[in-house]
Amino acid sequence: MSQNNAPSTPMTPITPPTKSARKKWRITRRGFLIGAGVVGSGVALGYVFGRPALHLTMAEMLDGGGGPPSSISTEPMAWIEVAPDNRATFHIPKIEMGQGVHTALAQILAEELEIDWANINVVHANTIRGPIDGSGTTGSTTVSSMYPVLREVAANMREMLRAEAATQLGKPVADLIATNGTITTKDKAASRTYGEIIVAKRGKWDVPKDKPVLKPVSEFKLIGKSLQRVDLPDKIVGEAIYGYDVRVPNMLYGAFAHPPTIGATLKGATAGTVGSMPGVVKIVIEKDFVGVAAESRQAARNAIDALQVEWNEVKPLQQADIDAMIAVREGQGTIIQNEGDAQKVLAAQSLPLLQANYNTPFAAHAHLEPQAALADVQADKARIWVSTQMPSLVRGEMVTLLGMKEEQIEINPAYVGGGFGRKVGSDAAMPAARLSKAVGRPVHVGWVRQEEFQNGYLRPPTAHMLKAALSADGQISALEHQQSSGEVAAAFLPPVMMAVFGSDFGAWRGARIHYGMPNRRTVARVVKLPVKTGWWRGLGLLANIFAIESFIDELAASVKMDPLAFRLKNLGATEEGERFRNVLNTVADKAGWGSPMPDGHARGIACCTDGKTIVAQVAEVSVTNKKIQVHKVHCVIEPGLVINPDGVKAQSEGAITMGLSSTLFEEARIEDGKVNARNFDAYPLITMRDTPEIEVTVISRGETPLGVGEPPIGPVAAAVANAVFALTGQRLRSLPLKLA
Amino acid sequence: MKITINGSEKEISAPGAATQMLLWVLRDDLGMIGTKFGCGVGICGSCTVHVDGVATRACITPLAAVEGKQIRTVEGLSDKLNDGTIKLHPVQEAWLQEQVPQCSWCQSGQMMTAAAFLAQNPKPSVDQVVDAMSNNYCRCGCYTRIKRAVTRAAEIAQEQNPERAA
Repeated sequence: MSQNNAPSTPMTPITPPTKSARKKWRITRRGFLIGAGVVGSGVALGYVFGRPALHLTMAEMLDGGGGPPSSISTEPMAWIEVAPDNRATFHIPKIEMGQGVHTALAQILAEELEIDWANINVVHANTIRGPIDGSGTTGSTTVSSMYPVLREVAANMREMLRAEAATQLGKPVADLIATNGTITTKDKAASRTYGEIIVAKRGKWDVPKDKPVLKPVSEFKLIGKSLQRVDLPDKIVGEAIYGYDVRVPNMLYGAFAHPPTIGATLKGATAGTVGSMPGVVKIVIEKDFVGVAAESRQAARNAIDALQVEWNEVKPLQQADIDAMIAVREGQGTIIQNEGDAQKVLAAQSLPLLQANYNTPFAAHAHLEPQAALADVQADKARIWVSTQMPSLVRGEMVTLLGMKEEQIEINPAYVGGGFGRKVGSDAAMPAARLSKAVGRPVHVGWVRQEEFQNGYLRPPTAHMLKAALSADGQISALEHQQSSGEVAAAFLPPVMMAVFGSDFGAWRGARIHYGMPNRRTVARVVKLPVKTGWWRGLGLLANIFAIESFIDELAASVKMDPLAFRLKNLGATEEGERFRNVLNTVADKAGWGSPMPDGHARGIACCTDGKTIVAQVAEVSVTNKKIQVHKVHCVIEPGLVINPDGVKAQSEGAITMGLSSTLFEEARIEDGKVNARNFDAYPLITMRDTPEIEVTVISRGETPLGVGEPPIGPVAAAVANAVFALTGQRLRSLPLKLA
Repeated sequence: MKITINGSEKEISAPGAATQMLLWVLRDDLGMIGTKFGCGVGICGSCTVHVDGVATRACITPLAAVEGKQIRTVEGLSDKLNDGTIKLHPVQEAWLQEQVPQCSWCQSGQMMTAAAFLAQNPKPSVDQVVDAMSNNYCRCGCYTRIKRAVTRAAEIAQEQNPERAA
C-alpha cells in the first residue's frame, strides 16, 4: 500500500463495533481517498413578492414533492475508496432503511466509475469521514437528487485514474479505455487495474476542472437492471447492524421518563433510594430530563419506574377536541393552487353543486425497530451510533447539547429498521448522550413499543371539502379542494421558514388538483394540535389523494360515466396529462378494466402524481359480512428513468401494503389525554392474510429519475373506496373504510 | 443456568437471569443481535426463535422456560461447512432469490417462522403458508414476497433433499 495516499480525514473512521471480520471486505482498508466536490443546490429565497403570491410561488416550487430547498455539503469529501486489490467502497450519506437506495446509488456510481459490480462495497458514511448530507433521507428524493451528483463524482474519479494511467504507462489519455476497474490501451498491449494505478501513484490527486463527459443512457450497463440488493446478504444471516444492535465495550443501558399524558411537563423528581437498586449506575435529574443509566435495560427501566417523578398535567384531551380543531373552515387557509376563478364558477353553477367531505385519522408509524441510539460522550469528542434518516440533524442536536464543534462529533448511521418519517432525527440519541455525558461511559437507549405509541409523533388527522361544477357530459369546469390538517413539516421547521412557505407543504402534499379543468383552486389550512404530529410516509399524500380521487369517482358516478373514461376526459392536455393517460390506460389494460369478474367482486381505480412520478392503481374487492377484502391491486408507476426495476416494484408493493393497512385497519385516537394504543393489540397492522396479490408494472421514461418510495401510497385508499362504491353503492368518506 | 444455543452450550450467570426474557439474554448478554425486538408482548413476531424446533416468541419467554432445551436463532439457521464457507438454509436462499427484505428488522422472525413451519410441513399449500405466516408483522409490506419465498424455500429444500419431502 502506498504511503503517499494517507487518509485525509481528521479522525480515523471506525468499523461498526460488533461486526466480526468474517467477510473479508468488512475490514477497513486504507487505500485511496480522493475528494470530489459536490454541487450544491441552494435556492435563493430573497425575491420580493407580496405574501400570498410568494406563498403560491413557494407552493408551486414545493409541489415537486421534495420539501424545502436544501443542499448537500460542497466540501471536498471522499465518496469512493479503492483498495489496492481493486475493490471499491462507496461511502453513502443516504440511509438504507429498506428502500434499496444503497443498491440504486451504487449502480449509479459503478456505472460511471467503470468497475465490476462484484467488486463494490457500500457503507453508510459517518459524519467525520463524510460526505455529509444536509437534507436527510426523506421525501422520495434520494435517487433523484443524487443521480447527477454521483455520476459526476464517479466520472471525475474515472478520469483521474485515466490521466494517472497515462502518466504511468507513457501513453496519451485518448488511447486509454476504462472498463471493469482496469485502464487498458486501445491495442490491449498494456493495462493496469485501478488498484495498481493507486499503489504506484506519487504525489497528490487533482480533480479535473472541466465537467467530465457522462455516458449516454443507451450505453448504460448497470443502470436499468434489477441487480440484487447489496444489503441483503448481511440481513438474511442476522448480521446487519441497526441502531438497536450497536454494542461497545463498557456500555450501559439508559431509560428516561416520558410525560404520562399529552401536554404534561416535568415538575420535578426525587431519587430516593433508587440509586441503591441493583444495577443502577447513575441517576440524572435535570430541569427537563429524568434518566437512569444502568448495567441492564431491565435495571434502567425498574429504576425509572421507581423514581418519584412529578408532572404538570393539563386538562385531558379527547378525540372530540381534535375533531373540532381539524374540521375544514370555509375561507381559512393558504391558497396553494389558483387557476381561473373556481369560486365564481362554483357560485354560478346552475346544476346542483357537487360537494363532499372526507376525513382521515391519526396514524402511527409502527416502524418495527423502535428509536435507538448509542452515545459515547467523552471530554473532547462524542461518538453516536443511531437509527436515523437524518444524521446531520442529530449532529446539530449534539452540537447544541454538548457544546462541541461539528468536527468533534461522529455520527455513525446504522441500518434503520423502518423509518417512514419517524426517524427524521432521533428521539434516542439525545437522552443517550445526556446519560453518557453524565456517567462518563457509553450508553444505549432503546425505546419500547409503548413509548413509541404514547410518546412519539403521529400522522396528523385531516379533513377535506371538495366542490365541483360539471356539465352533463362529464366535463369538470371548476374544482375546489379545501383541506385542513395537523402539522407535518411545520412541526420541524423554524417559524421563519413557515412564514416564507405560508403553508405546510408536508400537510398538503398531494392536495393540489391534478386534473386539467380551467378553474381549480386548493386551500390548505394547517392546525397546530396539542398532539405531536409529523412526517409519515408520503406526508399528506395518502389523505389528500383519498379525498380527491374519491371525489372524482363521485363526479363520474353523478353523470353515470365510467370512472376511467371520466378521468381520461378530465386530465389536462399537457405533458403530465399525457403521462397520466398512458399510465391509466396501461393499468386498465393490465387489470382488465371492464372485463367480467367473479360474482360479488368489483374494481376501483385511482391515480396521483407525486414529485412528478405518476402512479395509477386498480383494486379488486369483495365484501363478506361487511368486511372488505381486497383481492388484487394492479399498479402502474412511471418514475422517470428507472435505476433498478425490481427495487421500484418492491417499493410499490410495500407502499401499497402500508397504504392498505391505513385503508382497512389503522386509526389512533386520543382518549383521556393519551393515545388509545399502547401496543399492537389496540393498533393492529395488516398481515399477509389481508394482503392482496399486487402486480406492479414499471415504466421507465426519459433521462431523469424521479421519486419512488412514497408515490405508490397515494392512490390505494381511493382505489379501494371506489371499488367498494362500485360493489355496494356505499360511498365511504373516512379512513379506515367501514361499511355501514 | 445452562442453555444451548445453535448447538453450543452457554452458561448464563447474571443475577436474576432465570426470569429474564430469552430475547434480552440473547441480545444484550450474549451479543446475538440477529433476533430483533419489536413489541415485547409477542404480537409482532420479530423475536421469533426455535425452541426444540418450535417457533417461539423470545420476548415473552423467560430463560427458565428454555433451560435444557435446544434454541436456534437466525445466526444458526445456516450451516458452517468444514471449508469455512456458509451454506444458507433453503429459507435464506429463497429470501435472497425473491429479494424479500426491505428494512429487514422483522425478517429474522419471518425466516425462523418459515423454517419451523416448513420443517413440519415440507410441501405446503398457499393457504397453509398464509395461515402460518399471518402472525408476523412486516411494516415495509413485504408480504407478497414472503409468501412467494416460503413456497420457493419448500422447492429448494426438496431439490436439495428429495427423499425427505417425498
